[in-house]
Amino acid sequence: MAVRHLEVEVRREPKGAVLDLRGEINGFAQQALDAAYAEAEEGDPETILLNFEEVDYINSTGIALIVGLLARARASKRSLSAYGLSDHYVEIFNITRLSDFVSVFPDEKSALSEAKPA
Amino acid sequence: MTARRNEAYRTLAELSVPSEPGNERLAMEEVAGTVEGLGLPERTLERLKTAVAEATMNAMEHGNHYREEAPVFIEVSASEAELSVKITDEGSGPPAFTQETPDLEAKLEGMQTPRGWGLFLIKSMVDEMNVTGDEGHHTVELILHLDDKTSTSERKEASDGRTAP
Repeated sequence: MAVRHLEVEVRREPKGAVLDLRGEINGFAQQALDAAYAEAEEGDPETILLNFEEVDYINSTGIALIVGLLARARASKRSLSAYGLSDHYVEIFNITRLSDFVSVFPDEKSALSEAKPA
Repeated sequence: MTARRNEAYRTLAELSVPSEPGNERLAMEEVAGTVEGLGLPERTLERLKTAVAEATMNAMEHGNHYREEAPVFIEVSASEAELSVKITDEGSGPPAFTQETPDLEAKLEGMQTPRGWGLFLIKSMVDEMNVTGDEGHHTVELILHLDDKTSTSERKEASDGRTAP
């Protein structure tokens, strides 16, 4: 089974920057994730949204990478939101307590509706 | 649990995967295919897959140091009451799991490494986890109770005073 390396596109919406994630969030994802997050920060958005709709695998190293993004967001007083997680990964966000710090929404519409305007 | 362990187990599969980064997905999909006939609830199956992936990743990384010639062996067996997945590497000495309980706030404050979620995830996903080893091998055994009516997460949430999302 070939690893589906993470691809990330950064999209700007009026209420925040969206990282469209596609592939696996594992140890191979660090460079793509860090680069995309840095690009998203360039517009100094209040909110950065992680779109997990096309992510089918997150391992413990991937969780660590998300913790890293959260630390960066908190350091610059940005809010981090997530949407499109499967029920299983919502459960993992809950048990790791990531969901205490990252607002989790079912879809982009609800995530953007809760985001503060830029 | 002793009574359960004395039950007859039938081997469902004996698998091996080369110790290459990313191969934990291969392991988890192989195990998922093996247990397909057991009729596990979807949520239970997803939890088992995560536990298998994390234990395999730990075996490849810390046990076999990603030496391709050192495979990770996986034995899947079941009794009437339990499903067992044994994941064995060729490491020596104590199994290398981060024993520190992950604390997200400590990680965000830089007091803990952002990593170290593997053991925590495994323990959260299955009913039991046993670790054994000798001079040439480590084995992590993951156990799911098949005869319980409620799912693993529902039981854990109930014991933690939480409700399912």
